[in-house]
Amino acid sequence: MKTLRPWLMILFWTFISFLTLFPIYWLFVVSVKPAVELFSTPDVILTKFYWKNYIDVLNDRTLRSYMMNSLIISTGNAVLCTLLGFLTCYALSRFNLPGKESIFFWTITNRMAPPAVFLLPMFLLLTQVYAIGDFKLADTRIGMILVYCTFNLPFAIWTLRPTVDGIPKELDEAAYVDGASPWKVITEVVFPLARPGLAVTLILTWVFAWNEYLLAATLTNFNARTLTTGLSEYVTTTGTEWGIMAAISVFTLIPALIVFSLVQRHIVTGLTFGAVKG
Amino acid sequence: MANVKIDNVIKRYGAVQVMHGVNVDIEHGEFVVLVGPSGCGKSTLLRMLAGLEEISDGTISIGDKVVNDVSPKDRDIAMVFQSYALYPHKTVGENMGFPLKMAKRPKAEIDEKVGRAAKILDLAHLLDRFPKQLSGGQRQRVAMGRAIVRDPQVFLFDEPLSNLDAKLRVTMRVEIKELHQRLKTTIVYVTHDQIEAMTMADKIVVMRDGRVEQVGAPLHLYDYPSNVFVAGFIGSPSMNFLRGRIVSEGGAKQFASESGLRLPLPDTPAEVGAEVIYGIRPEHIGVGDAGIPVDVVVVEPTGSETQIFAKAGGDVIDAIVKDRISAAPGSQIHFVIDPANVHLFDAQTEQRI
Repeated sequence: MKTLRPWLMILFWTFISFLTLFPIYWLFVVSVKPAVELFSTPDVILTKFYWKNYIDVLNDRTLRSYMMNSLIISTGNAVLCTLLGFLTCYALSRFNLPGKESIFFWTITNRMAPPAVFLLPMFLLLTQVYAIGDFKLADTRIGMILVYCTFNLPFAIWTLRPTVDGIPKELDEAAYVDGASPWKVITEVVFPLARPGLAVTLILTWVFAWNEYLLAATLTNFNARTLTTGLSEYVTTTGTEWGIMAAISVFTLIPALIVFSLVQRHIVTGLTFGAVKG
Repeated sequence: MANVKIDNVIKRYGAVQVMHGVNVDIEHGEFVVLVGPSGCGKSTLLRMLAGLEEISDGTISIGDKVVNDVSPKDRDIAMVFQSYALYPHKTVGENMGFPLKMAKRPKAEIDEKVGRAAKILDLAHLLDRFPKQLSGGQRQRVAMGRAIVRDPQVFLFDEPLSNLDAKLRVTMRVEIKELHQRLKTTIVYVTHDQIEAMTMADKIVVMRDGRVEQVGAPLHLYDYPSNVFVAGFIGSPSMNFLRGRIVSEGGAKQFASESGLRLPLPDTPAEVGAEVIYGIRPEHIGVGDAGIPVDVVVVEPTGSETQIFAKAGGDVIDAIVKDRISAAPGSQIHFVIDPANVHLFDAQTEQRI
């Protein structure tokens, strides 16, 4: 293939980067301007910073608890789905289970309908059915972690299967002969080798839960409310607080950016894992 | 060290039986090679010994203990896999120390034993490397190191040299043999390469289609193959086989091939008229002034010896001689056969007469 001239490539990627990053920049600009300036002539050049929106957000105890909820629910969900997905894939890959292909396909069936279809059943399950005495799963963090699992676990199983299948069974066998118990085979050999796939799954499930709005808005009232639902509270009948919303949005973006940058290397390896014989 | 007894072992996958009552006795410290073509069941048998494959019927004992239901980790065996099966995320040292770590040995002991094994295998300078940074031969030695650190009762080798190039294979062959002489541990070694089997084994087990065809010392198998399959499998190049019958020529028995070729016979109980398979190894055929006239088809000089493919009637006979023969294709030469080197097999049962 003929390579493009270097300056053309630089121009191309500068343009793509601009397209991608400009909305984020604009969001930041909105978050550091007072409300009056927002509605005057739009100006993307920053001359001075107005941090009050951020201070307001950080001083707001409710928003702080929403942020904590988001973090706990996303992380709890991602860890649970990744671990359970990994163990499921290990069983599907290594053991002769009758009808395992059907089991594999069956896991994905709930992703074939839009999430809205599950809203009412989920609402009834969490408010009416899953209750012990006064304790109900609705509006709890553990409830939301489990709800997101129903969507993320099938996804985790599907993304992890090629990774686990790609780890040669001979390594398990070598470990068995070397004196490892089945649990040691998993922890010492298969799990460390599945790390790239695990990182990808962890991130993608985390992002799903972090960004999710519909289910969180329906199944939480106050205790387990997340940041995404918190955003909507600033759209009121008397007006929309754009500056505060922008500041919350920046806060929403930061953890995702940090997590992505930390595991970016693994994501690239993970997505190509097993593509070529290594 | 331990002896191993494989007693009437049967293996079924569902309704399909792939191993039909295999019996092998392996003595203390013996180097036994299981050899046979692909699909003969030799690797399955080794995996059953390791505990990686279930035994459908019969028993396998290591020492005096029946191990049919003993898990691999409790069999006190070590195995070297065809692909080496090194843990890619562990260093050479960690790979070699893994069996000891699993046995919860103290770190000082692990370091000491890994160090000693690394010294034996010339790996001491590579202990901090990862498997992907090693050459094929080095990986092979790490796999062996991982096996020897535990000082197991039995070593199992599953075609360990088949991924190496020809030259390295010869070197590693010598290294494994040396290792056996040093450690004197019982070894069961699987290969499809009969040269490996001949050069390394104290005892060879020739297998075909899930059955043992013959068990014996390498030279015994070479000199007295019990059937056509073993005769053809052991020895390189392969033995010449000619189909025909015993005829009487002036009161003496002779072999007459289907194409009419007459060949000398040793003393044999086979009756005149009996249909037989006549076997003669290429290296047991000489070239002389008088003998069986043959037409040269191809001559392959290798320097140390010359291989001649020649036609006699409708039969092609392969001979190897030490002399340098410069016969042109199409020219006639004479093959000389010493009847003492002839093997006769029954044409129906293919068993040795």
